[in-house]
Parts: sequence; C-alpha cells; structure tokens
Amino acid sequence: MSTAIDQQVATFQGQFKRVKEEVSKVIVGYSEIIDGVIMSLLASGHVLLEGVPGLGKTKLVSTLSDVMRLKFSRIQFTPDLMPADITGTNVVQEDALGEKFLEFQPGPIFSNIVLADEVNRATPKTQSALLEAMEERSVTVGKTTHKLDSPFFVLATQNPLEMEGTYPLPEAQLDRFFMKLKVDYPTVDSLHTILNRTTKIKEPEVDRVLGQGEILEMRKTVRAVPIARPVQDYAIRITLATHPQPPYAHSLTMKYVRYGSSPRGSQALVIGGKIRALLNNRLHVSGEDVRTVAYGALRHRILLNFEGEAERIDPDTIIKEILANTPEPK
Amino acid sequence: MVGVLDLNARKEKEPVPSMSDKEIIIASLRRVERRIRGNRLFTELNLGVSLFLVIPLVLKLWDLFQPMRAVTIGFTVGIWVLLFLSFLIWRIVQKGTIEQAAASVDKQAQLQDELKSALWFINNQRSSEWINAQIYRAARNAQNLNLDYLYPRHIPRTSYLAAGMILLFVSLNFVPLPWNHNWLTLQAAPAFALTDKEAAILKQTEELLRKAEKLQKSELAAQLEDVVQQLQEGKIDAQQAAQMLDQIQSQLEEGNLDTASINEGLEEMAKDLQQSEELEPTGNAMEGKQLNLAADELRKLAEKLGLMNKPDASKEMQKSLQQAAENTRPGLEELAKLLKEAAENLKDEKQELAQQALDGAAQELENIQQKIDSQQLKNMASQQIQNLKDSIQQRQQAGQKGAKGQQQASGKGQNAQGQKPEPGQPPDGESQSAESGTDGEPTDQAGQQGQPGAMMPGGSEGTGLMPGGKGGSDAPREGAATSLEVQLQQEKVAGMQDGGEKPENLEESSKQERSRLDYRNIKSDLSPAQKDLLNQDRIPWEYRPLIKDYFQAIRPTPKQQDKK
Repeated sequence: MSTAIDQQVATFQGQFKRVKEEVSKVIVGYSEIIDGVIMSLLASGHVLLEGVPGLGKTKLVSTLSDVMRLKFSRIQFTPDLMPADITGTNVVQEDALGEKFLEFQPGPIFSNIVLADEVNRATPKTQSALLEAMEERSVTVGKTTHKLDSPFFVLATQNPLEMEGTYPLPEAQLDRFFMKLKVDYPTVDSLHTILNRTTKIKEPEVDRVLGQGEILEMRKTVRAVPIARPVQDYAIRITLATHPQPPYAHSLTMKYVRYGSSPRGSQALVIGGKIRALLNNRLHVSGEDVRTVAYGALRHRILLNFEGEAERIDPDTIIKEILANTPEPK
Repeated sequence: MVGVLDLNARKEKEPVPSMSDKEIIIASLRRVERRIRGNRLFTELNLGVSLFLVIPLVLKLWDLFQPMRAVTIGFTVGIWVLLFLSFLIWRIVQKGTIEQAAASVDKQAQLQDELKSALWFINNQRSSEWINAQIYRAARNAQNLNLDYLYPRHIPRTSYLAAGMILLFVSLNFVPLPWNHNWLTLQAAPAFALTDKEAAILKQTEELLRKAEKLQKSELAAQLEDVVQQLQEGKIDAQQAAQMLDQIQSQLEEGNLDTASINEGLEEMAKDLQQSEELEPTGNAMEGKQLNLAADELRKLAEKLGLMNKPDASKEMQKSLQQAAENTRPGLEELAKLLKEAAENLKDEKQELAQQALDGAAQELENIQQKIDSQQLKNMASQQIQNLKDSIQQRQQAGQKGAKGQQQASGKGQNAQGQKPEPGQPPDGESQSAESGTDGEPTDQAGQQGQPGAMMPGGSEGTGLMPGGKGGSDAPREGAATSLEVQLQQEKVAGMQDGGEKPENLEESSKQERSRLDYRNIKSDLSPAQKDLLNQDRIPWEYRPLIKDYFQAIRPTPKQQDKK
C-alpha cells in the first residue's frame, strides 16, 4: 500500500528533478523561479513572470517547452494585437464543389504551453481574451466553443519599468494566475555562467523528458496529497489576513490594502503546499509548505490602496508581516 | 535529525508490535505530553519557589531593621504559602493535550507538522491510501522519537536562583545580631520589647516581690511576670498591661501599713522607755529603728528581771512601760497592750508574768520590724512597677504619635538633673507631669540605680512632687510646647482630672481668681506607698548618730519640763 505511494512520490520527485535539471542547463540560477514555474504547471495553473527585459524570462519558458514534449506557442502582445489574433477566427473556405463555408482557424492559444510575452502591452480587450482560455480551458468563437488541449499552461511576462503605453492587467485576470514570480537580476556568478554558456559556438541543448501523459499523472499525484484541517485552516487564515477587514486583518493590511486575495489564493497555497510536500518526500502538507509558496501565490492578489501605492508598499512586505503574525497550525 | 530519531531508543521504548499505527502515534504523543508536563512542572516549580521566596526574603531583611511579630510573619508567610500551593495545584492539575504534544514534537523534531496532521487524520476518520501511508510514516517516526534528546531533563536556571535564595534566607536567620530572630527555630520579635532599663526594673521588682512573698506569701511576682510575658507575646497591648500593672499595684498596696505612724509611735515609745535606766537600751534601739535589737534588749531585760532587787528601778521601769503603753498609734496596739501587761505585772510584782509580757513585747517588736521590712519592700516594688508602667505607656504614646524630635517639654525639673536621652529609649512625648514642676529637684541623694529609695517616680503624671532619681525612668522627658490652652489646662486642679470621682472644670473659677473647691477635698494621685515614701526619714545613716546626739543634747531635761 504505502510502497505504491512511495513509488508514486519517488516518480514525481524524479520527474520534477529531471525537468528542473534540463531547464537549468539553459537557465542559470533562478532555481526558485524554475520551481515556481514547474509547480504552476503541475498545479494546473498559470504563471506571471515579472522582470526587466533581458533576464531570460522568455528563454525560460521556451526552454521549458523544449524540455517537455508539448505544443508551444508564443504571442508577443502589442497594443494593436486583437483577440482573434490569440484565439483564432473563422475564415471562409471553399470546398471542392465551390461552396463556401466558415472554418475555424485556431489561434496560438491552442497550444499546451503559451508564452504571452509582455502581456501588459496589449489592450484590455485582448488581454481579456486570455480570461476564458485560462480559466475555462476553452475558447468561444462565434457560437462555437473550442476546448483547449490539456495541459494548458500560460506563461505571461511583463515589464515593471516601461509603464508608458501599457495596460496593467485587470484584477480579475491577475487572479487567474496561480503564481506571480519576480525575476531578479542574476548574481555575478550566475552572469559568468550565462556568459560561458551563451558565448560559445555550441549552446547547451536540452532533452525532452516529460510528456503530456506524465504531466497529467503528476497533476493527479499532487491532488492526492492529503492536508490536515489545521494546516488548511492556517492557509485560510493567511489568505483572510490579506483582507483589510477584521477579524484576521493585519494592521499593515488595513492601512495599505484595498482588496485581499480571493479564494483562489487559498487554493494556490494548498496546492503549492502539496507539491512542495511531495518534493520534500512528505505525504502531508505542512505550515512551512504554505509559508514557502505564500509569496508567489498571494503577491499579485493583494491590491494596494492609494496610500499603499503612494508609499510604494511592496506586497511582499505585507505578506511577510502576515506570515510573521499568523499563528501556526495548532 | 540524527539525534531526534534515535534507533537505539526504539528497542527500549517501542510500543507493543501488535499496536496499530494510530495507537503507536497516540501512545507516543502521550509519552511526549508526560515528558513536557514533567519538564514544565519542574521549571514552573523552580520559578514559583524563586518568586515565593522573594516575600520571605524581603520580610526577613525588613525584620533585620524592624523586627516583626510572629503574627505578622505567620500571617504574611501563610498567605504566600497558600497562594503558592494554589499555584502548584493549578499547574499540576493543568494537563496538556496530545494535540499540543504533537505540535510541540513536530517543532522540536522538525517533523513539518507530520504528527499533527497524522493525529488530525486519526481523529477525523478519513480513509485513503495516502492518509494511511501518511499515518504509517508518522507512526514510524513517532516510534523512534528520542525524548531525552528532544526534551532533556535539565536543571533550569531558576533552580540555582531558588537554591541561592534559600541559602540567603537561611543565612539571614543566622546573622549574629542581637535583634535578629531565627525564624527557622520559630523565633520572632515580641509584641512589646522591654528596653534594658525596663528589663532591669522588672528583674529588680520581681526580686523585691519574691522577698515580699516570703514575708506575705503572695504571688505577685508570678502575676507580674505573666503580665510582661503577655505583653511581649502581643496578647495584650501596653494600655492593658498598664491596667494589669495597676491591679498588681493595688493588690500590693492592700493592707498597707501606715509606717509613718508606726515610726512616730515607736519613737514616742522609745522616748518613754528611755526614761528608765533599764529600758534605755531598748528605747535607744527602738529610736534607731532597730526593732530586732530592741527585742533582744527587751528579752535580756526580761531575763534580768528576776534578779533585779532595785525597787526604784523597777518602779521607774514600770512607769516607763506604763507611759509607753499609753501610745495608741495604729499598728502598735498589741505592743502597747503587752507593755501595759508588763507594767501592771511589775506593779503587782508578778515577775514571771512581767517576764512573759516583756518576751511577748519583744516578739511583737520583731513582728513589727518584719512588717515594716515587708512594707518597705512592697513600697519599693510598687514604685518599680509604677516606673515600668510609666515607661511602657510613654513608649506606646511615643510610638502612636511619632513624637520623636518634638519640642522639649517645658518641665525643667527633668533637665535639671542632667539626664540625657539614651539611645533606644523612646522619647516621652506625653510627659506633662514633672514639667510643671519645679519640683523636679532630686531629693534622693542616695538615688543610685538599683538602690532602695532611689526609685522615686520621676514620671508620675501630674504631681510634680516625685522627682526621679537616676533609678527612675531615664527617658528624656519631652512634651508639647506650652500654649495658652495648656496653661488653662494646668489651671484645672490636677488631682481632679483623672483621680476625682466627678471631674470638675474650674477654668471659669480660676479666671475669677477664686476656687469653689475646698483644697482639703482634693484627692491626691499618690498611692499610700508613695505617701509613705514621701514621709520616710531620709537621714543618711552616717549622720544619724550625730543628729541623734544633737537632739539628745538639746533635749529638755525632766527638771526643765517640770518647771514648765
């Protein structure tokens, strides 16, 4: 009984490890970012990567798609990008008899891994085209709804500096991302490694180690991990603490937060915790797991008020305070 | 984690193999809970003892500066013991839950909420392969917990503190200071501590009373001792002690002899007896208050009576005895009667009966001497009791008013004696007595401490007539500054304020320079013993022969008397 589960866990860990190793052949450093991206994939979620240009966000996503035997497409978001450019559209076709008919031409969203590069440069109308796809895993064109293949994984990137001519993602859309990961500037050592790898004749190549079926199996494994009520309660209390309303609100939250996390935040905490538990060879979720994933899962779900924005409060600061002040599971 | 999951421990502490995973987890958690509770109790006990010891320590330190009574110590320490016991019982009764034990062991052993989760799954029956696998893993880890590593039995720092405090407390009890009381041997400060001087007075009084007891078989010394003991134990206060001392004084003064009258009578008798040549030695001895000698002389005379062949001498003797027998002073009736019998028998030439009468008179003289001695002892004891009472009352009043350092009393009589306040002697804030007086001149030239006759009451209230020698209270006499009100108070007749049956306010009369009260009706505050002491002859022994010779020299001869 336990041997089968142990085997399942070991397989999960092995596959995760292999994916990470392959990605790490190309992407230097960013271990936590890679973990976060893979975790989001295994949690059936989507990732928003935020960082200045040139840090390898797009490279990370493309490498990930290379490592997996999955269909990959990239959409460069621009102000003139139309929703149909993403979802696809019906085009007029002519059959052998010369009769014309409408045929759906799938857009780039019909892939397993979709890179929405610089997602905040497109208009809200176009951005919202992603909404249905990200949440419903389907696209409706005209009167027809087209199902997306599973796994469907959106990796969006955005540049936090060049705000001119950008359209910040609406709250509803932000909430649909499982995690928001911040890509920081690499360290000196990492830069050396990057230069060593990318300035030679032969760039590192990655192997495809994970297929669609394996990913879906891993997703099932994640969902099977049990979580005790106290730990789940802990995750809920953390989520509620992001709300400015009592009774769980923290003083910092009350002062700087307009809206706290939605229940999706709690889901992200629990599922993220489960993945982390498996990675640590545990069959239960711990408070530590919840705490570890809290930053990625909650930072984009905390909407600052005017005062918070004016004082340039980092949501991570609020999360840190919340974690420090929320009693651990009893 | 190496030490946390101790495989060796498994051999010793492994629950029975037949136990299920759930039972293993619960048994292990109960074991953890017991260990945590034991450690917690030990720590809290030490902390509690340390905190508890603060109070006795503070009390003990305080006691070194201001000794406390057993009641105070017992009450305070008793309350703290009760509080400590309550705290102890509360902590012992308070058991932890296995959920708390699970949370604790998860944290200590870095098990990442494993046991906590397993316990929750056990308590909330949810069967799934994953849950069972989780419980299985948790059971294995719980089984291998090394409690000695996770929850070592250590001696908390507070135990050193507690030990130090206990040591300090014991040491403080054995500090070799005269005023330190060892609580460990159930010693505490008496409710009322006698000063050295008061203790000396008490000892002297007891000795006097014991001597008096031998003469009169009273138990006043025991009563006095009992009063002082009760005062020291706090069973009575100083006021009550003073009242009880009053009672003892009253008992002491019951049946007092009017020694002044007796002395005068004896002197008169002596003069009468001196007129006879045969009785002159007896008269001389009686005049010199040597009654035992006088009795001996009388017995010698009685023996010689049968051999006497001088009718003139016998007649002279008979006449002297007859004259002496006419003295009817109180206390001398029996002596007078016997002398009269002797005179009559001599007159009737009944030698034997005369001898018997003279022997009887000698015996009576010895009895009188004994009574006078006893009376003198009682007087002195009474005076000592008065001094003791005054001292105790003054200290109590001084303590109540905190009148230390107040203005000096107006009475110069005390200061005139050059008395200095002694350290430890309480100031007399109330003494309005001798102050008025003038009268504080020391009359007792032999007033050495401890000598009979030196115990004149320096502190007797309101009289100003009893100046204290050194044998009296040496306490500095202080009182409130004299004000107009005080002067008016003084214009009241002092004797009426306390002693009179119906105190009468004479201020109005006094202002009119007239008194409606007959001075003869004013009762004196003085006891009969005090009056006796006042009336006593204070002639120093060494001058007595000279004075006697002087008065004998200027004494009118019988011829001169006849001429008159």
